[in-house]
Amino acid sequence: MATVTLTLNGDVRTASVPPETTLLRLLREEFGLTGSKLGCDVGDCGACTVIVDGKSVNSCLMLAVQADGRDVVTIEGLATMSRLHPLQQLFEDKGSLQCGFCGPGVIMSAKALLDENPDPSEQEIRDALAGNLCRCTGYSKMIEAIQAVARDGRGEPAKSAV
Amino acid sequence: MDRHDTEDKKSAVVERKTPGDALGEMLRAPAAAPLVPTPLETLVPEARQQTPAVRQRATRPDARLHGLGQTKYIDDMYFPGMLYAKIKRAGIASARVLRVDTSEAEKMPGVIAVVTGRDVPCNSFGPSLKDQPVLAGERVFHAGDGVAAVAAVTEQIAAEALEKITVEYEPLTPVLDPLVSLGLETPGVHAPSPNIYGHKVIKKGDVEKGFAASHRIFEASYRTQMVEHVPLEPHCSIAMWDANGRVTIYTTLGRITLGRADLARTLAVPMSRIRIIATVVGGNFGGKNEITTEPVVALLAKKTGRPVKCTYTRPEEFISSTTRHPIVMDYKTGVTKEGRILARTIRLVLEGGAYCSWSETTLAKACILSPGPYDIENIHAEAFVVYTNKTMTGAMRGFGAPQVCFAYESHMDDIAKALDIDPLEIRLRNALREGSLSPTGQQLQSVVVRDTLLQAAQRFGWSGDGAAS
Repeated sequence: MATVTLTLNGDVRTASVPPETTLLRLLREEFGLTGSKLGCDVGDCGACTVIVDGKSVNSCLMLAVQADGRDVVTIEGLATMSRLHPLQQLFEDKGSLQCGFCGPGVIMSAKALLDENPDPSEQEIRDALAGNLCRCTGYSKMIEAIQAVARDGRGEPAKSAV
Repeated sequence: MDRHDTEDKKSAVVERKTPGDALGEMLRAPAAAPLVPTPLETLVPEARQQTPAVRQRATRPDARLHGLGQTKYIDDMYFPGMLYAKIKRAGIASARVLRVDTSEAEKMPGVIAVVTGRDVPCNSFGPSLKDQPVLAGERVFHAGDGVAAVAAVTEQIAAEALEKITVEYEPLTPVLDPLVSLGLETPGVHAPSPNIYGHKVIKKGDVEKGFAASHRIFEASYRTQMVEHVPLEPHCSIAMWDANGRVTIYTTLGRITLGRADLARTLAVPMSRIRIIATVVGGNFGGKNEITTEPVVALLAKKTGRPVKCTYTRPEEFISSTTRHPIVMDYKTGVTKEGRILARTIRLVLEGGAYCSWSETTLAKACILSPGPYDIENIHAEAFVVYTNKTMTGAMRGFGAPQVCFAYESHMDDIAKALDIDPLEIRLRNALREGSLSPTGQQLQSVVVRDTLLQAAQRFGWSGDGAAS
């Protein structure tokens, strides 16, 4: 067994897991954070995307032990009890999610992008989402939502959601 | 749906137009709102009436939980004592199963139970033809067939146990091409049943007369490939039995009533003792319309007395779930000098893969739609669906319509080019009109093919030379 201590959504957490455990399984099975999804287990679909030390990561491709001592943010770490993260709000307002299975991963990729580049071009948004597959094909509305969040951050009025 | 229901939904939509920032908003259950009686009004739009939904942005009631990562899909569910199942895949397209040895797997610490085809009370099911085994019996019909399943305390142990199962096969010559399968000399995939398991003919007018009057006759053949749905959420089910011999199955299955019937048959349990709970689905697209892992987990749960879960791996999604039918499509079309279609014959050969699944419905729809949205007086369309030793095909968005659309529109472009007619113009000359008769003789109403083509051409700046300007 390997011991992993990491900062998870702001809290220091520790777990003892078999060394082959992926970060995704650590999050889902040890910490009960099931927002990150297992879609392919080989890093193709992006449904398991989380943010590790500010970078978006496929958590199915990272071992839990590699996250030791690092800062991990998952979809569960975005909203507070009283407020949604702007990405969550705009994804809802723009109807960006259909079945929703890819949603947490997409939102985490978008967050990693906006944290690094608050004013991305449409192409930069597309590049940031290149590792996230959506089979209900809602990419345009996701891009609209991310653009609206970026505009809000610059104090520009967002287009009406309706 | 009663009108109170409708009213509740309307007010819920209005509320959501002002996005509140309080998370608590989502906890307010709409069912608790008082029922307000409203005058009865018809919700069915009249023909050609614009409904108020067009151009409106709709939000989904489940969007909040989706965005928060709080929607519970089946893989997010756990029951105390739950075991994890894995299925061993044949990896050979056609073979006789001589021996399945599970003894080494059963000895592994952490392995609680193993089942094979012999443990299935009635080892055949299917939405129409009951040609699909739960786990292979004496024969393997395609490489994705399951031959044994293991329930273990962890997924890892279950996966390792599969390696310990040895299966002895007598390989048989597989049928891998639909046109070969169609041939009379080809051995039956499911002998003594014939390889052609579905057939449909549509006749309208007299094609020979139409061809005789034609200025030119064009012939072409088109093929499409197998397509997998790839729902982001893999197929999954969890089964558990209660003390009274009832089984509860949580599953990603879309058609739960049909699934109940298939489970009653395969498990030999009355339908009244089977409860299916369909979980929030992470993408279906037609690929989750019939049972896959459900009878396997039910058998393992019964054998172990514990809840058992089985989730498809991504490779299993590709080899062991249904796919879109590949179709070989032969078209023959007679036209006037001006490009008006006088007669069309079509032969479709749908590749069904190893099992029937939803082939019959797909066959019918592909055949009915194969002449295209064109006013053709003389039509002869014939469609076959055949078995091959490949991954089975089934329902997928469009049910055969996209394949034939690819064929008749490609054919149309070829004809337009040969006759030196603009591709848009040749379609306008042939498009169905108000009151036209469909290939099956139905008089069509609200026909807007021309309007749609003209508006689309205008919107993206069709310049008439085959390119958008």
